[in-house]
Amino acid sequence: MKIFLIGAGQVGFAIVEALHADHAITVLDTEPSRLAALSERYDVVTVEGDGTSRQDLVRAGVRDADLVIACTSRDEVNLVTGMFARAEARKATAVIRTSNVEYVELWRAGELDVDFVVCSELETAHAISRIIGVPAARQTDVFAEGQVQIVEFEVADGASPDMVGVPLREAKIPADSKVAAIIRGDRMLLPGGDERIEPGDRIVVIGSPQAAQAWSALLAPGEETVRDAVIYGAGRVGTAIAHVLIEQGIGVRLIESSLERARAVAESLPGARVYHATGVDPDFLERERIGQAGVAIFAMRDDAKNLYAASLAKVHGVQFTIGIAHEPISVTAFEQGGIDVSVNPRMVTAEEIIRFAHDPRTQQVALLEGNRYEVLDVTLKDTSEYIGKRFKDMPVRGALIGAVVRNGAALFPHRDDVLQAGDRVIVFTEAADAPRVVKAL
Amino acid sequence: MSPDARNARRRQSPRRSTWLAVDVAAVVNLVGTLGKYLGLAVLLPIAVALWYGESVWPFLVAGALTSGLGLALERATANAAARVGMREGFLVVAVTWLLAAGFASLPYLFAGGAQLSHPIDAYFEGMSGFTTTGATVVTDFEALPRSIAMWRQFTQWLGGMGIIVLAIAVLPRLRVGGRQLLETELPGPEIAGFSERIRSTARRLWVLYVGLTALETLALASLGWLGIDDRMTEYEALAHAFTTMPSGGFSTQATSIQAFSAAAQWIIVVFMLLAGANFALVYRGLVRLQPRIVVRDEEFRLYVALLLVASVTLTVQVWSYGFEEGEAALRAGVFQTVSIVTTTGYATADFATWSTLLLLSIFALMFVGGSAGSTSGGIKVVRHLLVGRVLRRELDQTVSPELVMPIRLNGVAVDERTLRAIAAFILLYIGFWAVGAAAIALESALGSVDVGTLDALAISASAVGNVGPAFGITGPMGSYEPLGDVSKVTMVALMWAGRLEIIPVVVLLTRHYWRL
Repeated sequence: MKIFLIGAGQVGFAIVEALHADHAITVLDTEPSRLAALSERYDVVTVEGDGTSRQDLVRAGVRDADLVIACTSRDEVNLVTGMFARAEARKATAVIRTSNVEYVELWRAGELDVDFVVCSELETAHAISRIIGVPAARQTDVFAEGQVQIVEFEVADGASPDMVGVPLREAKIPADSKVAAIIRGDRMLLPGGDERIEPGDRIVVIGSPQAAQAWSALLAPGEETVRDAVIYGAGRVGTAIAHVLIEQGIGVRLIESSLERARAVAESLPGARVYHATGVDPDFLERERIGQAGVAIFAMRDDAKNLYAASLAKVHGVQFTIGIAHEPISVTAFEQGGIDVSVNPRMVTAEEIIRFAHDPRTQQVALLEGNRYEVLDVTLKDTSEYIGKRFKDMPVRGALIGAVVRNGAALFPHRDDVLQAGDRVIVFTEAADAPRVVKAL
Repeated sequence: MSPDARNARRRQSPRRSTWLAVDVAAVVNLVGTLGKYLGLAVLLPIAVALWYGESVWPFLVAGALTSGLGLALERATANAAARVGMREGFLVVAVTWLLAAGFASLPYLFAGGAQLSHPIDAYFEGMSGFTTTGATVVTDFEALPRSIAMWRQFTQWLGGMGIIVLAIAVLPRLRVGGRQLLETELPGPEIAGFSERIRSTARRLWVLYVGLTALETLALASLGWLGIDDRMTEYEALAHAFTTMPSGGFSTQATSIQAFSAAAQWIIVVFMLLAGANFALVYRGLVRLQPRIVVRDEEFRLYVALLLVASVTLTVQVWSYGFEEGEAALRAGVFQTVSIVTTTGYATADFATWSTLLLLSIFALMFVGGSAGSTSGGIKVVRHLLVGRVLRRELDQTVSPELVMPIRLNGVAVDERTLRAIAAFILLYIGFWAVGAAAIALESALGSVDVGTLDALAISASAVGNVGPAFGITGPMGSYEPLGDVSKVTMVALMWAGRLEIIPVVVLLTRHYWRL
């Protein structure tokens, strides 16, 4: 597939990284240094030019593209680029990134002439709400309209002995779920029945939402479902998170240091309590019992502030912290600093955009462990060799079918179940194997 | 118009003095225009007088004087630039009501007989009429000519029309009620800006007002036609419809609505309820058939809830004290509650003779008032609602000073200026009431008028809230005639200030208003 990418920032980098092996990518950016950095590492064509210039786009070859991705950090540029792309490359799919929920709504209403709009803030908010839904999870993704969850857990020392240290076939695995992979150090195992889960492992589980919660309870006993959240920073990300959490019935307290912003958010979010405070005043934290919050989410603009505020919140007793890491390196820094989960909005956005580059049969992908593994949602070809085979007879090829969606309902296959033509399967695989797996199915 | 052209025009416009910040000529011009048309109002009592064979002269002279004066004022200031802005608005409103009350009092002076011909009494009755209060100095209703009695009723109806414009269009612009309090402002075709919208809104609400008055007249008159209530003649039906819709309370009967049947009383309850609700909301419910919007309105909900609670409280007391029983007790409780809360001031029982506890209940209800955007007076339900929310926020912020909590009305955040204005209004309202009560109590004590402390407090509350009756000799079946002149003038001032929502009146007393 010919992919035309505008914007060689963090999102652009992540997309190139995930897609450069299988697709012909052309990257357009106004900044030569960024393009140079990109072309040094990956086999892509780079063109210096302006996405808002129709001439530049045509000169760079946008007309030949199958997929046009506008992912600069500026909404206006992306919008204009998207419109030009639609005009110049009629057969191409145009995907644009935005940081404004309003554009998503406009697009849904059919008022924006692009194929897809991906909003960093909204994707981040959804990612966080999934994490909160399963407290012990490091990362979660949902498939098949929420019926199937892929969850990555870290196995703590306190995990249930029914699960840890016993061979998997004897372990009391929650119904409707499957261990897709065990990650031990740098190795990933596709576990057979003899494999054991050890403390310190990370495991990837595919299952129903109920099963994911059961896993969470087994692996991290004592962590209750989150009832209330404190969000630091009522910027676009913080507000989007608050909005999504309130919709799920989670109580939200927002802390915002700008009075004007605090007022505006308080007016637009009737369900949230909004404080005009820095969030790092010990008196304030004590008085408002911030330490008792089920989760604290740090969505301020400055990564350093987020890290410091999170540390302080931990001191005051917050058990569960989620940090928004704007810089890629911050993800690591946050984890080192004790933040339980970090989310990089640009990575989340890239992940969402990458889905459009996959086979048209592939509806959705998720990236795990820094892009090493992918979870695919694929519809079976009529000619697939897997049709009619029982699961226990299937060849093992470094991939695992975690769930089947048949007529809109999710099934969690057992050894004797059989795949049918038209089934959608949720497959866990290494990123490098993904195209091969899709072809085989 | 370009800014340059506007400046040029401003420079050319005649200024009589350099220090006055108010364009008095423009005010006089507009008041003159209003007076010119107001004078035509005498046509109705003239028709009544002709029908009953009474003298038309008092009305002819009153109308001619008013229209003539209006025309003269308008002519004299004809070359004044039409510069009625916010500043002038306060003065126009204040002067209009003062002059309208004067106009209303002219026929009383000419033909009111002994009980109304004293200038203070006549002006009191006129002010009570145009402010739709319903307090009266009349003692012998039988002695009043039919045309004069109808004129009393009609002044209240005209006052109600003025109030609709005042409440919907003028006061919100003067930031008194706050535009936001009338969030249910009628949506209409957006024609040529703000003033045109006000005009079309006012016109639609007037049609509603006239329609409801006609409906009530019909409903009441049909009781007479069907023989259910033989005292309810066409004349009485129209007379009482004229004073229900403006939540006025004047009656042609010495015993107010007690003179009529239970059926008539219930019908009047329904129309009082409508008169005390936000007219824009009533329009939505009755004309646009959007009952859901009405039911969801927070002020309307509180209005109904307060009425229910108060009705039950009064009914239980009336019954348990043995003043009435069964349906009569319910009717007495509901009627008095609705009449006082909507600041109408009708009565079906002489509650002045009831027990002290009942009097205190009624006294408390005088401070409720109807809904914003209605013809009722008083503090009004929406202000109570918002002040309650402000208090709750204050308590929450005492615990958590960092909390940012917008106050909402029907889901929309109310701006802080409006909230401050409401707090100021309530403080001033209480202040006016207290000073008024002191003046009335003092003069009554010195002049040995039979007005006790509670009576004086209630008289003042009743006047500033545009309710009408109070307790003791000034009860619903009594009269304000025995009060001294100082008390009557005080009440006139209270009725006037209360009707204009106090702040425009107080603004006129500030130096800043007049000076640059």
